[in-house]
Amino acid sequence: MSVLAQDPGVVRDGRILTSRVAVPWEDLEPGPVGARVHVVDYDAATQTLYKPVPVGPGDFDPPESNAAILADPGFHALNAYALVMRTLGRFEYALGRRVAWGFAAHQLKVLPHAFEEMNAFYSREAQSLVFGYYPRDGRLRFMCLSHDVVVHETTHALLDGLRWRFMRPSSPDQAAFHEAFADIVALLSVFALDDVVGHLVAAEGRADRGRIAKKDTTADALMVSVLLGLADEMESESGGARVNALRRSVLIPPDALILNDERGEFREPHRRGEVLVAALMRTFVDAWTRRLDSLGTIDRHYLDLGRVAEEGAAVAEALLMMAIRALDYTPPIHIRFGDYLSAMLTADTEVRFDDTRYGLRASIMEWFGRYGIRPSSGGEDGLWTQPQLPLGHEGVRLGSLQSDPVEVFRLVWANRGHLRLDPTAFTRVASVRPCIRTSPDGMPLRETVAECLQYVKIPACQLELYGLEVPEGMPPSLQVELEGGSTLVLDEYGRLKYEIHNRLPSTDRKDSQETAQSRLQYLWDHGAFDRGASLGARLATLHRARAGEPALARGEGW
Amino acid sequence: MANASPDRARIRSYNVGFGDSYLLTFSYPGGRDRNVLIDFGSTRSSGFTPKGGLLTIAEQIRMDCGGSLEMVVATHRHADHISGFAGKSGEVIGSLDPDIVLQPWTEQPELDPAASAPAAASRQTLRARTMVSRLADLQHLAGLVAREVPKLRASGQLSKTVADQLSFLGETNLKNAPAVRNLMTMGGRRIYAHFGTKVPVSRLLPGVKLDVLGPPTLNQSAAIAHQAHVDPLEFWHLAALRAAAARGAVSSGDPIFPRAPVARVISQEARWVIPQIDRMRAEEMLAIVRILDGALNNTSLILAFEAGGKMFLFPGDAQIENWRYALFDRDDSAEIRQRLSTAAFYKVGHHGSLNATPRTLWNGFAHRSETGGPGRLRTMVSTLAGKHGAEARGTEVPRKTLIAALEKLSAFQTTQGIKSRKEFWIDCEFDL
Repeated sequence: MSVLAQDPGVVRDGRILTSRVAVPWEDLEPGPVGARVHVVDYDAATQTLYKPVPVGPGDFDPPESNAAILADPGFHALNAYALVMRTLGRFEYALGRRVAWGFAAHQLKVLPHAFEEMNAFYSREAQSLVFGYYPRDGRLRFMCLSHDVVVHETTHALLDGLRWRFMRPSSPDQAAFHEAFADIVALLSVFALDDVVGHLVAAEGRADRGRIAKKDTTADALMVSVLLGLADEMESESGGARVNALRRSVLIPPDALILNDERGEFREPHRRGEVLVAALMRTFVDAWTRRLDSLGTIDRHYLDLGRVAEEGAAVAEALLMMAIRALDYTPPIHIRFGDYLSAMLTADTEVRFDDTRYGLRASIMEWFGRYGIRPSSGGEDGLWTQPQLPLGHEGVRLGSLQSDPVEVFRLVWANRGHLRLDPTAFTRVASVRPCIRTSPDGMPLRETVAECLQYVKIPACQLELYGLEVPEGMPPSLQVELEGGSTLVLDEYGRLKYEIHNRLPSTDRKDSQETAQSRLQYLWDHGAFDRGASLGARLATLHRARAGEPALARGEGW
Repeated sequence: MANASPDRARIRSYNVGFGDSYLLTFSYPGGRDRNVLIDFGSTRSSGFTPKGGLLTIAEQIRMDCGGSLEMVVATHRHADHISGFAGKSGEVIGSLDPDIVLQPWTEQPELDPAASAPAAASRQTLRARTMVSRLADLQHLAGLVAREVPKLRASGQLSKTVADQLSFLGETNLKNAPAVRNLMTMGGRRIYAHFGTKVPVSRLLPGVKLDVLGPPTLNQSAAIAHQAHVDPLEFWHLAALRAAAARGAVSSGDPIFPRAPVARVISQEARWVIPQIDRMRAEEMLAIVRILDGALNNTSLILAFEAGGKMFLFPGDAQIENWRYALFDRDDSAEIRQRLSTAAFYKVGHHGSLNATPRTLWNGFAHRSETGGPGRLRTMVSTLAGKHGAEARGTEVPRKTLIAALEKLSAFQTTQGIKSRKEFWIDCEFDL
């Protein structure tokens, strides 16, 4: 299907740049409405429900003129549908299985013209992605026509389905992760289109007869032409009305202490998330330029533009897969950047052992390190360690282990000592997901990924039972929830390959106490226990907060 | 004048309903009284607001001040603080010929978006203009939102609470152009103040010292725009709304694709999601006007009058972000907190809302006491319950926990205690 390569502001030869993307085939109802996406073209500002557009083979080409692209709500619906489905497809491919939404329905509602506002967001309660529109310079700007915006919001929906606890307050890192991950997937999704990469590399007359000077393909040059170039294009479309996450990220200089400053700028969730984006974007450029070094030159000083773009798109695609695949190797709760780094490295090693082509893992380790992000695994290679736990399987049926939470719970409970679970806590297996991931050499990797969660709810005066101190000012009778959890990765024989955890605090483990104490303090400082505090903050609010909506200063209010 | 220092002070709060109007009167032995009117506005009347509303109150102010005002203060441009300066009631106040009209720096006419840029505008001025311009944009939008509320109510998709709050906040944040215009031309001298501005009161109010403790300028505190770490103007990323407001499409109601056919058969998914989206949109609008409401509150003047060793504190609707500069961010904040602790009178900020009486300020008041006595802290609030916020979310105005603390630890008065349409004020008097 045809989609806008980025947004209507990206124009080549006077035409809005479009790109053809592959989406899983399905027989669509008018809307379009498919098995996973239901486009409802309702505009709350004018209370208009547009007639669902029928989709036929001829509709997979873009409208003939720029004006038609902007004026055709049917194309807007198709564009949003295609980008949502493409993103879903990339997730399903990377994770090796179907991926469910984070609500009790199969179809995500997509509203391409939901209201007149410069906002777009995913709403779990409305089971929807909603996109606003707004006038600027005499014409309407449609957020559903911005590739990165659609992918960003779709990613929120997908991440919510995979790790719904990541939307709850926990730590500065977790507060930052949802937005950062959505930015990463959105930007890599755009850069994975060689049309876009080629356009950006060649812009401002840099290309000549299909060639580009080698000096224009250094890391510094590509940072300016491609990364900041795309940021400029985004800005020219939105007029600075959107927060330009790409620009803000790229302009963060590497600093290994940047995340440590307790009161600094990068404690704020959005700025903190932009550090993660910066590390990934620098990895992208670094790996790309190394690939370009191996390309043959033309007249000694030039490279073939098409090959440069292809290599860039290929690196972006590989990184995108790596970024998504990591999710299965993250703890189910309380994620920190170091957890995500170890998850990326481990998941990638499992599926794509040979990294000599792109050298992505070494590059990621280096650039994350330059921004002060160290792998949580602690090891030199950054990989999660395999637990070597001899789990007992007595009474456990192997066949059911790949799909049945009851069976996995049986395994977990039988091995609660090995897994260091707290037998006094409420324990639940929240998901069991069988996966078949395909490695580049064609070999299938079969795994089952299960999430096991534990929680206790106690009055603050009993925190000492878990080795925790009551934060200053917290009433002793306040009910406090402590949560922990493990992601269990089983091989095809039901053996435990990895146990990736952030467990409940315990008096016999000092490290878990310290982490839990700082988390408790963070939650208290940020009002997570206040009456009316929303634990599942809507992303609309999150996006507005990114634009600076004030939060009540802790401890000064009534 | 026989004596250069006042021997008495009286603070009179008029029952404007939901709003503020305070007359601060200093009496001098052997001399005439000197009067300062601090705010004059209302957005909702109460059961005991006088017949004739703000005009009747203006006439009362005229009588109470003996026909002349030394100073008029408009702490910020919310309707519930300045609407009385418009129309006939505004004419009455104008006729009292105040020597000084004191407003926050954000009201400087040269910062008005409609004004032409000064020839050599500094970067600071340009940034200030941008901020004021964004406030004006959002005020325009608030007007459109307020106008849309009846339509939203009619759709039946909106809870009464959300509709009421939208309506209330929309109206409060309306531009109040006539009042703003009157204030721009009223009196002998207009002063636009920020933290530290020296207001020349020694001749007008002999023996009275006046300190301006807020608002800070953009340079003084990026926190006024809630962003300590980035360009404060980034707070106003809702810039796109400027265009929306200018176009008026928020309330036009015309489909944006007039040629596209409208659905007749509605799928169950659409039936389910449409009410959700309608509700969400109303909540979005509410969130935006709340942002505006807070932003305008934080442009409030915070004034500390001192006479005869007593401090009278008038913070308008300043919220914590505005207070923060004086209380915490300055090098001499400890000294300022020490001085504030001596306050004899505190006008409760923002009608008693949850975040306009910083606990640090409250806990610091040295004259708080559970028992009566001449030196006990005196507090006064002009408010009307049931108009703003919701108890279920702990955002009701006035906030019950705050009122309980005020009642317990100070001599507390509220305009809600006024039960007469004839004597529609409360007084608090001090011997100096």
